[in-house]
Amino acid sequence: MNFLSPGTIAIAAALTVPPLVALYFLKLKREVHAVSSTMLWKRAVQDLHVNSPFQRLRSNLLLFLQLLLLCIAVVALGQPMCKTVETNESTYIIMIDQSASMNVLEADGKTRLERAKEQAKRTIEGMPDDGRAMVIAFCDRATVVSSFDTDKTALARKIDSIEPTQSSTALGEAMSLAEAYTQNIIIGTEETGGDIAPETTAPPASVFLFTDGRVADAELVSLQSFDVAKMTVQSVGTRADNVGIIAMDARRSYERPEILEVAATVQNFGPDPITFDAVLYVDGDNLDVQTVELPGAPRIDDETAGSPAPEVGGASDDASDAADTIQVIAFDPVEFSGGGVVEVALRTQDALDADNRAWTVVPSPRHVRVLLVTPGNLFLEKVLGTLPLDFETMTAAEYEAAPDEKLLDGQRSTFDVVIMDTHSTDRLPHGNYLFWGSVPLIDGVALGEEIKDEVIFNWDETHPVLRYVAAETISVNVWRRLIVPTETVSIIDGQTSPVLCYLARDASQFLISAFPLIAETDLGEPYMNTTWVTQVDFVVFMQNAIQFLSSNVATRGRKGVSPGDPITLPVPEGTKWINIRRPDNSVDRVPTAGYQTAHYARTRQVGVYRAEPGVAGDDVFTVNLFDPVESRVEPAKTLTIGSASVEAKSGTIEVNQPMWSYFLIAFLVVLMFEWVVYNKRVFV
Amino acid sequence: MAVITQKQSDELLDPEFTTKLDQLELISRKIFVGKMRGERRSKRRGESVEFADYRNYVFGDDLRHLDWNIYARLDSLFIKLFLEEEDLLVTVLLDVSKSMDWGNPHKGLYARRVAAAIAYIGLANYDRVSLFAYSNGLRGELVGVRGRRLMFKAIEFLTNVPYAGPSHFELAAKQFAIRQPQRGIVLILSDFFDKGGYEQAMRYLVGRNYDLYTIQILSPEEIEPTLTGDVKLVDVEDDDTAEVTVSRALINRYKKNLQAYCGDFREYCTRRGVNYMFTSTEIPFDEVIMSYFRKRGLIR
Repeated sequence: MNFLSPGTIAIAAALTVPPLVALYFLKLKREVHAVSSTMLWKRAVQDLHVNSPFQRLRSNLLLFLQLLLLCIAVVALGQPMCKTVETNESTYIIMIDQSASMNVLEADGKTRLERAKEQAKRTIEGMPDDGRAMVIAFCDRATVVSSFDTDKTALARKIDSIEPTQSSTALGEAMSLAEAYTQNIIIGTEETGGDIAPETTAPPASVFLFTDGRVADAELVSLQSFDVAKMTVQSVGTRADNVGIIAMDARRSYERPEILEVAATVQNFGPDPITFDAVLYVDGDNLDVQTVELPGAPRIDDETAGSPAPEVGGASDDASDAADTIQVIAFDPVEFSGGGVVEVALRTQDALDADNRAWTVVPSPRHVRVLLVTPGNLFLEKVLGTLPLDFETMTAAEYEAAPDEKLLDGQRSTFDVVIMDTHSTDRLPHGNYLFWGSVPLIDGVALGEEIKDEVIFNWDETHPVLRYVAAETISVNVWRRLIVPTETVSIIDGQTSPVLCYLARDASQFLISAFPLIAETDLGEPYMNTTWVTQVDFVVFMQNAIQFLSSNVATRGRKGVSPGDPITLPVPEGTKWINIRRPDNSVDRVPTAGYQTAHYARTRQVGVYRAEPGVAGDDVFTVNLFDPVESRVEPAKTLTIGSASVEAKSGTIEVNQPMWSYFLIAFLVVLMFEWVVYNKRVFV
Repeated sequence: MAVITQKQSDELLDPEFTTKLDQLELISRKIFVGKMRGERRSKRRGESVEFADYRNYVFGDDLRHLDWNIYARLDSLFIKLFLEEEDLLVTVLLDVSKSMDWGNPHKGLYARRVAAAIAYIGLANYDRVSLFAYSNGLRGELVGVRGRRLMFKAIEFLTNVPYAGPSHFELAAKQFAIRQPQRGIVLILSDFFDKGGYEQAMRYLVGRNYDLYTIQILSPEEIEPTLTGDVKLVDVEDDDTAEVTVSRALINRYKKNLQAYCGDFREYCTRRGVNYMFTSTEIPFDEVIMSYFRKRGLIR
């Protein structure tokens, strides 16, 4: 036998059994009275017991009480339900949000998820006896916690088993699952010749959604047969105060890689202004504290769920107000020569803890790796040799013939910067490129005819690559016309064509120079196309260009993954199993896949994960929330699912509540009263 | 001889009340043959001054009773007959069973006061007064006292006769009928709560052709019980017990039964020419004497 609330049994027993036993002990002894004769008394008692059965019925409170007890018992046996919801469906679909925002601790000491589970269990209790329900938990993915089941106890147990996560919310998959399951709902039972419900009609199911309404993809959900308006959306929670880290970056100084610069973007989602400390930890050591003061977020009355946080710098007043609530915290640069984990923690007691900490893994400082593809260029080789970087040299033929393992790391180039000296190519893995007298063979980019006898006409001296460079001293003999797309940023202009320009496309950056450093005469003799290469400015330019192009690699902390996202980790050769130590110090044992990798997907908890054994530098990864939708914990009043909106109900969900427990309590109370009356027998 | 104290006497009859009683006399609906000459007219022709009838002289009649005037007129001898005056036998049967030793006001004391008053009236009018106490049989008697000066004996008897035993009215009536064949007024003072019934007993008494008065005395607790709750009732006479849960229905049923019992007894008495009176000890006993008994024609 199973009990939904074993505690209630203990409480009820403790409240009723002792008084009942006490009443037995309190049973009064009959008081002795002397009378002149018992003759008439005996006759009266006999009359009442034998001769006047109907007189017993008259104004006999005990009898009425016993009748009342009987009535209560009989009605309770009929399993009465308090009908507050008009529904004829006997099939329920329960969907419970288990995303990060459901971890908010409410005023009653329960999290939103716990509240949602309680309400879901109430819904299950109110289900008709012949009803069945399925339970779906969803965060970034949806999970069928229980397929259709009629056992209310088992369903309640399954609901209890739903664990909180720190993932974002995606409703679409859950809705699709529910929709798919309802396509096969059988009307009636097998005994009564049940049949699958026709697809043309709406699924004969009551759908209950328990969420705080912070659903990122709610508006993107497409439904075929569900009528959203008939869904019951039960909003849980009331708190709105929350401050969260929505972005974080850690990078090393280009010149001094041992210097680490950390910045974090925080936003106040709550209505009240807040002041708090942001603390920087590097490998567990507290290195800096910044006090942050943020104004309260403006309230948007007609907000709907799923709407993202206002963009910074938006045109509307609300957006600009919201922008005030966002602040970038720049910590003082710290010296950190090793690799490790950088953490930013907000010292505040707000609704959601998951977004109060963020981590990133900073690799050990290393020099920028540069590949020089050239037929031979003394100037470039000399300049690169003087800069603090590691470089390799290849000819164009070697570059084109090089195996992928040499040039590619996944989709990206293995080199931080590739310098193409007079070599146009379409072998361009994602990366950073500097072209001298050549162009990347991508759409919209080409070299035109030769241009001679033109001068440098204009330049952007504010551009990073021209910092400390006197562009006016550049003198070029000949260059080619550059045909570039409109989004190209021209850095140095000639009279009729750009001389140096910048193009960012896909995940690559290109700095394209229209002139080669060394040109050839008609006879094929090389000559110095520009005297610039002999000047100090050229060295400065090269350092600026490499630093500018490589600013997002090598010196930056590695980005982590979002909660719930899978990650592929390199593993040492010959390893069959690796242990992943999770933020809560539990350990997952993961088998390795092919190609010396291991796939890991249990990343629904924010924090730092460590692989043992792992490949140095890739054995640590972080999971951060960085989700403004989740951080904005204020429950939504309206949920827009697809194209339809549905009002979210707050408070306790209205369900058809079984009343037998109340009848049981009434039965016990009347029974005790009846016992008291029986012992008194004063007014019968 | 026990000495009756003034206190005991006053408890039963206070002097003021006895003064009132002096004005009263007992009357009987029947004229009985007395043993002694008394102050009451007898059925028998006697020697009183009250003329009754004439009859022819027969040999042997007392010549002193001849009516000489008629003889002068009619020349025939007639004897003048006069009414005989005899005494009246007044008997009080007092129930002294344990059930009479109960109630507030006390039933036994009430009955003894009534008995004392009747005895006083009888003695004051030179009636022969007998007092019998009974419970399960006759328990004591004071027979044939006459004259006011013997009132102390009646008081003494009434004061000293104890309450004892259960009531056995039938046996007592049987013994009394044998003991006193002579007719006269017989007052029975009792609650008549006899588990053996009253019918047979009354049959014995009615058969003797007494001028019977039954006076049923009950206490207020018996008429309007005030018991509540679960009680164990103990019969004071025979220690019989009855465990009852007193309810309104039970009380109503008891009262109906009491009413029916008393009504049956009254009807029984009425049908047999027996005078029945019901009284509660709440009613002052002098009122019973002065008012009730007068109305019923027992005294005047």
